Amino acid sequence: MVENVVELSAINRVYEMGEEPLYALKDLTLSIENGDYVAIMGQSGSGKSTLMNLIGCLDRPTSGRYILNHKDVFELNDDELASIRNTTIGFVFQQFNLLSSMTAIENVMLPLVYAGVEKEQRIMRAQFALQQVGLDQRMYHRPTQLSGGQQQRVSIARAIVNKPRILLADEPTGALDSHTATEIMALFDELVEQGITVILVTHDGEVANRACRIVRMRDGQITSDSRIRSQKNTPA
Amino acid sequence: MGARELFKIAWQGILSNKLRSSLTVLGIVIGIASVITLMGIGEGAKKEAEKQVQSLGVNLIYVRPGAASNASISQGQGTAPTLTYEDAKAIKETCPSVDEVAAQYNSAFQVQRGEYNTSTTVLGTDPAYPEVRNFHPARGRFFNADDIKECRRVCTIGDTVREDLFPDESPVGKQILIRGELFQVIGVMEKKGANQMTDMDDQIFIPITTGYSTLFGLNTVTGQAVKMVLARAKDGQDLQAQFQITNLLRLRHGVKTPDQDDFQIRTQMDIMQTAQSITGVFSLLLGATAGISLVVGGIGIMNIMLVSVTERTREIGIRKAIGAKFGDILWQFVLEAIILSLTGGLLGITLGMIGSDWIGRFAKWTCIVTPFSIILAFAVSLAIGLFFGIYPARKAALLDPIVALRTE
Repeated sequence: MVENVVELSAINRVYEMGEEPLYALKDLTLSIENGDYVAIMGQSGSGKSTLMNLIGCLDRPTSGRYILNHKDVFELNDDELASIRNTTIGFVFQQFNLLSSMTAIENVMLPLVYAGVEKEQRIMRAQFALQQVGLDQRMYHRPTQLSGGQQQRVSIARAIVNKPRILLADEPTGALDSHTATEIMALFDELVEQGITVILVTHDGEVANRACRIVRMRDGQITSDSRIRSQKNTPA
Repeated sequence: MGARELFKIAWQGILSNKLRSSLTVLGIVIGIASVITLMGIGEGAKKEAEKQVQSLGVNLIYVRPGAASNASISQGQGTAPTLTYEDAKAIKETCPSVDEVAAQYNSAFQVQRGEYNTSTTVLGTDPAYPEVRNFHPARGRFFNADDIKECRRVCTIGDTVREDLFPDESPVGKQILIRGELFQVIGVMEKKGANQMTDMDDQIFIPITTGYSTLFGLNTVTGQAVKMVLARAKDGQDLQAQFQITNLLRLRHGVKTPDQDDFQIRTQMDIMQTAQSITGVFSLLLGATAGISLVVGGIGIMNIMLVSVTERTREIGIRKAIGAKFGDILWQFVLEAIILSLTGGLLGITLGMIGSDWIGRFAKWTCIVTPFSIILAFAVSLAIGLFFGIYPARKAALLDPIVALRTE
C-alpha cells in the first residue's frame, strides 16, 4: 500500500461575492499517492486552479480537511505555509514567472535563499538542477535572453532545486509550441521516475494522457477519476 | 534568512530601476544638505553672538541711571542724571565682589588738528576702562590714575579718529583741539570695529575728571553725572556683585522699594542670554525650514516605494510562492527604503559640509558643522527610511500570493 501525500476530504472553498456565496470547490475529496503522476482537467471556471492553489498551500479551504505529508494544513499560519511552499512543493507556471532582473542561476537559487542555504551549497545545487533540465550552458543568461522552452526549463529547475515532494504545474505547456511542449513533458516523465509526485493542470488531452491518472472537474466537483496506467515509480 | 541575503535582495531592487532610485535619493540629499548647512549657519550665528558679547569684556555689570520722564513721557533708560561719579567710586570702594570699575560719560564734540577736522564721541572714563572692556591701546598708553587725579589734558584716540586726524604720521605726543580745548595724544587704541550700535574706533578717551572740568561741565546738583558705570565682577561672583551694587545704590539714593529704583543693572549674563535666545530662535527657524524639506524627501521615498510595490506585485507573488515569508518581504522593502535614505543622508552630509565651507568662504559668514548635526542628519535619514518605508513594505508583505501572481 502506497502512502498518500495529499489527502483532501470534504473541501469547500467559498467566495463571498454579492448575495449568493460562490462555491469554487464543493465538497471535494481527493487523495494523491506518493510518486503518482496526476493530470487535472476541466474547463476554465471548473475550480482546477483553486484546487491547485489549495494543494500548493497558497490558499486555505473554507472548510474541510487537508492533510499534506501527514500535516494538517488548516492549523498552520502564513509563515508556516510559506515554509511548506519552500520545502515540500515546487511550482511551475504557465507564464514561467521568472524574475527578469536575475540570471537563470539566480532565479534557481532563490528558493534556497529563502530556505537559508549557504552560498556555496546554493550554487552547487542550482547548477545541478539546471543540469537536470539540460540548461547548464545558459546559467548566466537572463530570462529575456532565453526562449520560452528554456525559460520553462529554468522554472522547472527552480521548482525542483529544494527537493520537493510534490511538483505542481499549472498549464506548463500552455505558452509553448508543440515540439517544445513535448520536450518539457519528457522532463516531467523523468522527474516522476525520480520519485517526485507530479500534479499538473491542463486542458490539453495529449498532455494529460502522459500522466498515470486523470481527474476531471466541473463546477468545483470531481466528475471522473481514472487511472490510465499504473504508477511508473511504485516503490518496492 | 541572513541579513546579508536580505541586503543583497534589497540592493538588487534598487539597481533594477537606477534612475528612479537616484531621483528618490536626490530628495533626501537636498533635505539633509539643507539641514546640515542651515544648522551650520545657525551654529555660526550663535558663536558669532557669543564672540561679540565676549568682546565687550567678561563678567561685566552695566549700571545705568533710570529714565527721566518729561510730562510722563519716558525719555528712555539712561537719560536721568541720577547716577554720579561718586556712585562709581563708592561701588569700587565698598563692593567686595567688584574687581574694577569704569565710569563713563560721553558726548559728541568737534575735534581739530591743523587742517584736519572731525566730529567724534569723546568718552570720559577711568583708567580701568581698557581692562574692563578688553580694549587696549595699540600704541602709546591709556591714561592712568595720576592723569585722573591731576585732571591732565591727555587723551587716547580710537583708530578711526587717528585715520581722520593723522592720516600719515604717528599721533603719539601730538596735540589736538577738542571743542577748542588743547589735549595731548598719549596713545592709539587697537582696532575693535563696531559693537552693536557704536563704532568703538570712532572715539576719543579722556580722563573723566578732565572731562568734568573742561568739556562736560557739571549738570547735576548731586555731583558729577555719569551715563554708565561699568563694573567688573570677580570671577564667578556676578550675582553677588549685582546684589551688592543694587543695595549700595538703593542706600545711597534713598530708595525704599524696588519699584522706585532710579537705576538699572544688567549683567553680561543677561546680554548673553538675550543673544542666545535670539540665535536659538534663529537656529530653530532654520532647522524647521530644513526639516520641512526632509519630510518632503521622506514622502518622496514613501511614494516611490508604493509605486515600486505596485509595480512589483507579481515579483512579490513569485517570491511568496517559492517560500518567502512575511518578514522576508517586509525587510526587503524596508531595507530598500533605508538604503535609499541612508545613501541620500551620506551624500547630503557631504554636500552640506561642502556648502557650509563655501558659505564660510564666499559669504563671509561663519558656518560651523558640528558632529552633533552630522549624527543628527544620519539618524534622521535612517529614521525616515524606516518610517516612510514600513508602510509600503507592510503592504507588500501582506499581499495575497494568489492575487499577486494573477497581476500582470
